[in-house]
Amino acid sequence: MTQPLEFDVRPIMQSGDDPFGAIMAAVDALSPGQALRLLAPFRPMPLFTVMANRGFGFSDRQRADGVWEVLFTPVADAPDAAGMAPGSTPTAGFWPDAVCELDLTGLMPPEPMVRILEEITRLAPGEVLFALLDREPMFLFPELAHRGHEWAGNFASSGQAYRLLVRAGAQDD
Amino acid sequence: MPGKHLSRWTLAWFGSALLALLAACGLGLLGVAGPGAWTGGNGLALVHVFALGWLCQVMMGALVQFVPVLAARPLALPMLALPALLVSSAGTVALALGFLVLEGREALQPLFLAAPAAIGLGFAMVAAMVGATLSSRDSLRLAEVRMVLLALLALAGLWLSGAMMVLTLSGRDPAVDLSQALPLHMLLGIGGWLSLAAFGVSYKLFAMFLIAPDQGGRLRGAVFLAAALLVAVLLAAFLMVLAGRPAEGATTVALGLIPVLILLYLAEIARIWRSRRRVAPEVNMLWSRAALAFLGFAMALSVPGWLLGGPWAEAAVFAALVGWLSTLTLAQLVKIVGFLTWIQVFAPRIGRQPVPMVQKLIDAKAATLCLALWSAGTLAGCLALLAASPAGFRLAAALLSLAALGIVRELIAVRHLSHLAAEERPAPLPPLILPLLQPR
Repeated sequence: MTQPLEFDVRPIMQSGDDPFGAIMAAVDALSPGQALRLLAPFRPMPLFTVMANRGFGFSDRQRADGVWEVLFTPVADAPDAAGMAPGSTPTAGFWPDAVCELDLTGLMPPEPMVRILEEITRLAPGEVLFALLDREPMFLFPELAHRGHEWAGNFASSGQAYRLLVRAGAQDD
Repeated sequence: MPGKHLSRWTLAWFGSALLALLAACGLGLLGVAGPGAWTGGNGLALVHVFALGWLCQVMMGALVQFVPVLAARPLALPMLALPALLVSSAGTVALALGFLVLEGREALQPLFLAAPAAIGLGFAMVAAMVGATLSSRDSLRLAEVRMVLLALLALAGLWLSGAMMVLTLSGRDPAVDLSQALPLHMLLGIGGWLSLAAFGVSYKLFAMFLIAPDQGGRLRGAVFLAAALLVAVLLAAFLMVLAGRPAEGATTVALGLIPVLILLYLAEIARIWRSRRRVAPEVNMLWSRAALAFLGFAMALSVPGWLLGGPWAEAAVFAALVGWLSTLTLAQLVKIVGFLTWIQVFAPRIGRQPVPMVQKLIDAKAATLCLALWSAGTLAGCLALLAASPAGFRLAAALLSLAALGIVRELIAVRHLSHLAAEERPAPLPPLILPLLQPR
């Protein structure tokens, strides 16, 4: 895969300019599938939403020297880079904490799906539930999408549990 | 995107396969083939209605439905599902009729020659869907995914060997030595394509239905290695036959690999069974054990089958096709059709109104009775073949026909939600077969 394009905003900010235009120009210059590695003196929160809307997921870390390093990855390549299952909402990192946690391990399909759909129906729009499952709930995803709920999920590093966040949509038709 | 993980034509594949199963049982009951009478046109027609019409089609339908689950991504090229079903069904009918050329019906020669082309086109479309869905760096790390891809490779060998034999039987070039090609064709079909695909899918299904940890580990890697070696040896052996060289040595090596492969697979399934969290498994899993027992039985019969041939070989092939592959498929089919029907009808209702448990869609007692009858019929068939008794084989075919009719009746009842109380049954009912998903 193509190496990420590295873009350091610190020189621009030191000169007193707004780096936004330069960042967007860098994004436009990316080749298809290429990621962008951004170096900034602070965690560039406002940028996350902008980039999410342009189809990028992100992962960030603060280096020992205090510099923030953010990797924006095109969502089509997200399973490898950001570790989320295909179809996950890229902006799940901004969701509020889950108001409800369900341990659905040890249940035979479709029971986990029933529990999640029953629970999400009770939540207010925007509220989030977290569920732990034995496997990826393939048949749940189309149902969530159809009802206007968003989700993001992936396997735990052990591969033995699936972690799922679901955010209740505006209305459950 | 609603329904992106469900293939619309899954039930059509199953329906077409079940029709072929009923046809094959009926032909057996009529005495079209039996002990010692498998190499004539009638016998070959029956075998192919069963192996191609029933087993290959049900396996292809199951793969189109389940590879997205194996790879955790949507099916690639889903638009090929219906054309693949149509051409492979047409090809199967053409081949079965074409075999009657060997009974002196020369007018059917064009059908006989066209059949491999249609079947090959259908196989290629299924292989494209399955292969494109499974081929990703993440999926290929899984031994069960690689096993299904290996099954597709064996399918290519199965088709090629079959097509060459059709050419030979119709007196055209290039001719192959049938006595060498036939065992390889059967091994590629039964041991390569059907069994490896069944292995790959069964890991996921068994872990799910038994609520057992689904972890590959070294044992599954070893099963894959043995399977890869088997397919490589079978393909190499067939290439030797094509080159006009003797292949008995390679065929013997392949037959020696089969017990290793089966014992490794059974050891891993035993591990999954022991680590299950579901104390009382449901009917589909209980009767899958009968299928696994027939797998062991077929393996035991394969040794005298190769050395002595005749009734031993017939019984070994019967135990594999009717005992192992069909019992496994029929047992899981009841559960899978119940599950898909439940998803189709009740998933949109969850959280809005009470929904019945998925188990209530199935009459476990009726399914148990049918599967017991099927297993008894298989055992009777094996014994009749060993004893070279046509009357015994007709009796076995009667038991199998009854069992198959019973399963089909149960599947129709599941689709019609017949086992639910009237107030739990929403109107309108889903269509029996076409298409799986309705717009809503």
